Amino acid sequence: MRPRFDRDAIDRDDSALFSAFTISATFWLLLTTAVGLLLSFKFPYPDLATSPFLSFGRLRAIHTNGTFFAWASVALTGAAIYVAARTSGVPVVGKRLAWASLVCYNVAAVAGTITLDLGMNYGDQEYREWIWPVRLVFLAAVALGGLTVVQTVAHRVEETIYISNWYTIGGFVFTVILGVVAILPWYQHGLGQVAVQGFYMHNAVGMWFTFLALGLIYYALPKLLNRPIYSYALGILGFWTNLLFYPVIGAHHFEFTPLPWWFQTLAIVFSVGMLVPVFAGTANFALTMRGGAEAIRRSYALPFIVVGIFYYFAGSSQGTIEAFRSLQNIWHFTNFTIGHSHATMYGFITFIAWGAIYALLPRATGNEPNGPATRIHFLFATVGVTAYVVMLSIGGTLQGLDWATGGPFIASVETAAPYWVARAVAGSMMFLAHVIFAYNVYLMTRARGRAAPEAPAT
Amino acid sequence: MNRGMNNPWSIVAVSALLYGTLAVATGLIPGITLSASKPTPGLQPLTAQEARGRDIYVGEGCAYCHSQVVRPLQQDLVFGRPSVAGDYAYATPELLSDHRNGPDLTNIGNRQPSAAWQYIHLWDPRALVSQSIMPRYTWLFKAQPHAEPADVVVAVPPGFGPPSGVVIATRQAQDLVAYLEALRQVPLKAQR
Repeated sequence: MRPRFDRDAIDRDDSALFSAFTISATFWLLLTTAVGLLLSFKFPYPDLATSPFLSFGRLRAIHTNGTFFAWASVALTGAAIYVAARTSGVPVVGKRLAWASLVCYNVAAVAGTITLDLGMNYGDQEYREWIWPVRLVFLAAVALGGLTVVQTVAHRVEETIYISNWYTIGGFVFTVILGVVAILPWYQHGLGQVAVQGFYMHNAVGMWFTFLALGLIYYALPKLLNRPIYSYALGILGFWTNLLFYPVIGAHHFEFTPLPWWFQTLAIVFSVGMLVPVFAGTANFALTMRGGAEAIRRSYALPFIVVGIFYYFAGSSQGTIEAFRSLQNIWHFTNFTIGHSHATMYGFITFIAWGAIYALLPRATGNEPNGPATRIHFLFATVGVTAYVVMLSIGGTLQGLDWATGGPFIASVETAAPYWVARAVAGSMMFLAHVIFAYNVYLMTRARGRAAPEAPAT
Repeated sequence: MNRGMNNPWSIVAVSALLYGTLAVATGLIPGITLSASKPTPGLQPLTAQEARGRDIYVGEGCAYCHSQVVRPLQQDLVFGRPSVAGDYAYATPELLSDHRNGPDLTNIGNRQPSAAWQYIHLWDPRALVSQSIMPRYTWLFKAQPHAEPADVVVAVPPGFGPPSGVVIATRQAQDLVAYLEALRQVPLKAQR
């Protein structure tokens, strides 16, 4: 059948959009993980970089908000829009909205970074430290990105909506609602704000990044393996159960606090419920990959996705276990939590973003990344994040045990000290991986060397 | 299952309806209800100076290392009595925090009532606790050749101050320390 559109012209525009999102995201990855690296060295060297603008208390929020909202959000949005177009068999519909989304993401990231560095933030409340006007601009970016995806899917030539787009559209819708709930000030006072914070901080991770990343796996995995996803139904089951169980679990960040006891218990019960979508998703991916070892070994992109799926499973299951009161007793307030957040936001989310970019960007631009560089990126990032998580899990557990057995507080600082050094070393490996990734992004997106357009199908 | 869902706007509508309901039930309603918690009897709102100090506490990100919640667990009782809902009646934005790279500060005004200690500690924590990893907050202070009568002079131990002159606490440092001093739990009256 004759294509209904000029494939080359369309791909050129779509690939420019995808490239721009990826370049922007990579810039913020480098900047905000350089900040993270500096922070990690401040643990063994607290007198390193003592300017107020380079102080721990200000830079920490720049690291977390930057990696979340300027790296991961932008990388996932760019890839999700591209996937929406490819699965719909049409070019991106509403490119202006997509470009406006990218502009808003960057305006928010620049303004957010500067204001945080000046000491302006929303009460040290994790992942919503940006002052409200900045979060409003970010919200606009999410809404515009979501509108692009929905419009593109609405113009699809396929009969059904591919499972990836379910997850993507869901993620955009949830995040807009979540952003509004978090930004309204009139009902958040004292302990009430604690309840909202628990709800917000966890949903920002699990209803945004998780949904977009899962959407990308559902497209990239079968595409790279050249076989269909094992079960469409399992994917839909994961969608609905994640939607139903996740919103309730936020209070597990505030166990043993004055929040109502039943509210905490409910959060723990639903944290166990989260095993359903996690097991459904992981099983679906594992069964899709069954017997694909040779393809995984040969591909540059697939190893990233395999590690991402592993950390989706490991990090999410860890989250369920962490929620039990007997373990929160020991682990809460310790660096175990920081290990967990890197297992999920880095091991899972960031690896899936890389996997999707390595899988799709070369197809969009016609430019391949450097093979050996990609292997080194993979090696450094995998070893780095694994060492990071293991070291902080051990160090954090020892911190908690120190507190539980009494003794002066400073003893727990001395106990954790060697693990903080190890974390800084692991973080250095991760940062080197990002530099290599940035080089590959340059190779994949540069204008020269563009492959000749494919011969039109006749 | 999905035959009615071939329009992406249906996914938008159903997602928004379901998630909106859950957000109201598990975010909005708990927020509204718990915001109305009555203050613990005897709890005082912050003074203007203490409130300015709290803003500095927030802006410098103190909560990334210091919690303000005492759990009813043995290891927490060193920090004070277990926190109750009414303790947070005047605490917006909330600063409970998820982190204890440093000790809990719920009751620090009672546990460390010395302002002189707090000034030295903010100027250079390692002047008081050699193994401390807390940052120095030198920008809340200024070094001067001589102290004026109205100045708050920091009693910096030898070797931790500037080569010559004295260290003066700026108004910001005074506000922050006033806030730290105000972090005092009120005793709970026995229930009848």
